[in-house]
Amino acid sequence: MPDVDSSRPLRLRLGLDAKLLAIGLGGGLLSGLLGVGGGTVMVPLLVLWAAYSQRDAHALSLGAIIPISVAGIATYGVAGKVEYWQALGLAAGSIAGARIGAGLLAKIDERLLKIVFGTFLVGVAVLLGVRG
Amino acid sequence: MTGPTLYVALVAFGVVVGVASGLLGVGGGTLVVPFLTLAVGLTQHSAQATSLLVILPTAIAGSLALRRRGVGDLGLALRFGVVGAIGSVLGALLALALPASALRLVFAVFVGLVGLRLGRDGIRPEKTRT
Repeated sequence: MPDVDSSRPLRLRLGLDAKLLAIGLGGGLLSGLLGVGGGTVMVPLLVLWAAYSQRDAHALSLGAIIPISVAGIATYGVAGKVEYWQALGLAAGSIAGARIGAGLLAKIDERLLKIVFGTFLVGVAVLLGVRG
Repeated sequence: MTGPTLYVALVAFGVVVGVASGLLGVGGGTLVVPFLTLAVGLTQHSAQATSLLVILPTAIAGSLALRRRGVGDLGLALRFGVVGAIGSVLGALLALALPASALRLVFAVFVGLVGLRLGRDGIRPEKTRT
């Protein structure tokens, strides 16, 4: 796999090519289908198929989750399933945590990031397997 | 868990979710949903709905922090995500017509294989090529 120099900026003014289109659709589809973050699907595809650097793939996925989650909230909001107080408590912590995590992402070594993300995915797979 | 203990647990777990989300580029739903069902006792549907409401502000906070540091391209990410939003609606509609346990198993296998592959790439980055 071509290891893109992490210091290089993402190709600016790049429209959505066919791969991004397919990954976006696929990530959103699985997110809606399984109720999990589309990132677990989008990040691997962006890295292994579209040849983005690990760091850029994470940034791209995180931004994409904004419109994807809006669509999901609208769908679930109609069903009246949201527990607002629990969401508020979690969000209070996670907003602070996200800034720490983003700071780490900006600095972390690409290879270490791959290992951390790979470990996370295996953990998720085990969790899903146990619950499924 | 009830009252203040629940709140401390929610905020503390929220921090963990946020760090993972900002670093790993995922929404955090894979962590929040099991936490809400197993530890807090919400139903699966409520947990998924609630987790989406946590994911949105987390993704915004993380994305803004990344943009300040010059990582990634938020405009492209948002355009990419709009396509994803269309997929998300289609996926939710499809989910209503399909057995969830089978889907979850397929997804678990996919995620597990990719995790192992990336872990190997991280350890031996030169050796791999698709």
